[in-house]
Amino acid sequence: MTNTDVEDLGERPRVQLPKSPTGIDGFDEITDGGLPTGRPTLVCGPAGAGKSLFALHFLVNGVNRYGDPGVLLTFEQDRADVVADVSSLGFDLDGLERDGQLLVDALTLEPQVVDTGDFDLEALMVRLAFSVKKVGAKRVAIDNVEALFATFSQPSLIRSELRRLFRWLKNQGLTTVITAERGDNLLTRHGIEEYLSDCVVVLDDRVVQDVATRRLRVVKYRGSTHGRNEYPFLIGPDGLEVLPITSLGLNQEVSHERVSTGVAGLDEMLGGHGVFQGSAVLVSGTSGTGKTTIAARFADAACRRGEKVLFFSFEESSSEIYRNMASVGLDMAGWVQQGLLRFHCERPTTRGLEDHLATMQALIREFVPTLVVIDPVSSLARGATAFDVSAMLMRQVYYLKASGITAVMTVLNGEAGVEQAIVRISSLVDTSLEVVMLTAFGERNRGVYVLKSRGMAHSNQVREFLLSDTGVDVVPVVIGAEGVLTGSARIAAQSAERAASEGLSRESERLATALEHRRESVDAHVDTLRADFAAEEQLTRQLIEASEQQQQAVQRDRLAQGLRRTVIPPEDVP
Amino acid sequence: MSTPSEPGTDEGAPDTQRLQLTLFVSGASPRSVQAVRRLRDLCDRHAASGYDLEIVDIYQQPEDVLARGVLAVPTLIKELPLPVQVLIGDFTDEPRVLATLGLSPAETADG
Repeated sequence: MTNTDVEDLGERPRVQLPKSPTGIDGFDEITDGGLPTGRPTLVCGPAGAGKSLFALHFLVNGVNRYGDPGVLLTFEQDRADVVADVSSLGFDLDGLERDGQLLVDALTLEPQVVDTGDFDLEALMVRLAFSVKKVGAKRVAIDNVEALFATFSQPSLIRSELRRLFRWLKNQGLTTVITAERGDNLLTRHGIEEYLSDCVVVLDDRVVQDVATRRLRVVKYRGSTHGRNEYPFLIGPDGLEVLPITSLGLNQEVSHERVSTGVAGLDEMLGGHGVFQGSAVLVSGTSGTGKTTIAARFADAACRRGEKVLFFSFEESSSEIYRNMASVGLDMAGWVQQGLLRFHCERPTTRGLEDHLATMQALIREFVPTLVVIDPVSSLARGATAFDVSAMLMRQVYYLKASGITAVMTVLNGEAGVEQAIVRISSLVDTSLEVVMLTAFGERNRGVYVLKSRGMAHSNQVREFLLSDTGVDVVPVVIGAEGVLTGSARIAAQSAERAASEGLSRESERLATALEHRRESVDAHVDTLRADFAAEEQLTRQLIEASEQQQQAVQRDRLAQGLRRTVIPPEDVP
Repeated sequence: MSTPSEPGTDEGAPDTQRLQLTLFVSGASPRSVQAVRRLRDLCDRHAASGYDLEIVDIYQQPEDVLARGVLAVPTLIKELPLPVQVLIGDFTDEPRVLATLGLSPAETADG
């Protein structure tokens, strides 16, 4: 953008190389700000690698986002084609030209030019200078210089003229993108990278195990740090996107709403309410553990709530899923008929990773589901490096999260390279369920546990995961002396427990009865004692009464005797 | 300069046969001056039906440079007779220039 972006750090003055952002998602992150301002950048790669698109992004974003007018000089297509090709990406070249922000100088070079002697490319420089002056351009894109070599018969002359052109562009302080075909041993077919040493970006469209994946690498960036990896990039509905993991933002709104997993026992393990709406759920397990079934239950539960579900299946066709899910009591075809469920079934190897991602995002935009199932994400990993897969998955998960869509992804454990990819995305996963096979007592039974579940209390137990023709359930296992019991062992242990508890209840009943009996007998005893006491009391009272009467009688007698013994005047005697 | 047109040949040839040329040059550079001189000389000698030559200085008329898709100098565009032909270079390869412009060295003998 500006040439004057100089940062002064006091004693150790350090000049920060001014940079012009391209506005290409991810690219500006890798290059720590974009392309070197006022210098030419070489973008090379084979035909169809996305060079022209890169150049156009750089120009159009320059105008729209950074206020830098631009000039496009293209030898590739005529004007109408250039305009039409990028209109689907939302680039309105005609509009930008009308506003005087952009100038498209498109010339189709005549292949039948007749060479009659010495010449130079002064007219090329004149027209570029004229265009730049007309719009006050700060950015220029030249696409693609290889056409010059095809048109004019003297490669050494063209090379020296290009050198002159690049020098002129630099002197003018124009931030320029120059595209060129890749050569066999050289970066470009005619070795022009010799003259473009400031910044070199290589685009590639490589086929690995029959799957094409686009990659981008910053080979050289003089005076600046830059990501040195090969980054996968994709040409999606919004154009070019580079996928460095660091470009993922962390600012989406989160939902506190919980949605059922479709399995009551599983909801119970997840704090009783299921998972958060808009969260990413990973269901991992080895082959045949019922991962798809769990995913289908999620889908079924969402459809029951009247929500829309988009089901990406990379291993089974929709009719296979209908049949298989019918065996556990799920009517997937019914939801499809009601328009609540849509399947997108595709072999993962049909297209490259970035194509899959683009398709998935386009379908999601069109169908607007609240739940997306990707079954299994791990099959996308075949033929791609772990980095590609994790970058793609991160992009996908981030996209879904940002859209508030719950994502249920299944992962087949044990596939080479996949676990590494999954570990990389685990930071984005909110709830991780693992289905395991528990082998004991001559049986294999399914167990499920919650590996992690952010933001909610969740069970630490392994529970048994039951699939039957009536449905799916998750039941607590029994921990016995032999360890965790599942299947028949669990049933046996459960019935023994039941029997034991029945015995206990009989005993307590007996004790209660005995107690009642005892109470009755004690009561009876108390009654008898009371009666005895009453009788005794009455008797005693009679005895007391009798004794008192006797006492009075004795007193009277004693008075009488006393009178007789005492000498008293006769007159006192009554 | 002169546009020679012999009365005899003019009668037989329709107006479209008359050469119409546009030459793009870069100002008064030695190469451009040389190219203009060579072209005129060549046409004077061989264009029996006469010719019109418009000289465009790319520095003076950049709009025309843009409009005509010119990259190299000197560039000569043969506008008429059709088909339109584009010639690059300073016309040192005379036989090639004559062949492309549809002039035959034989016409010299007529004059």
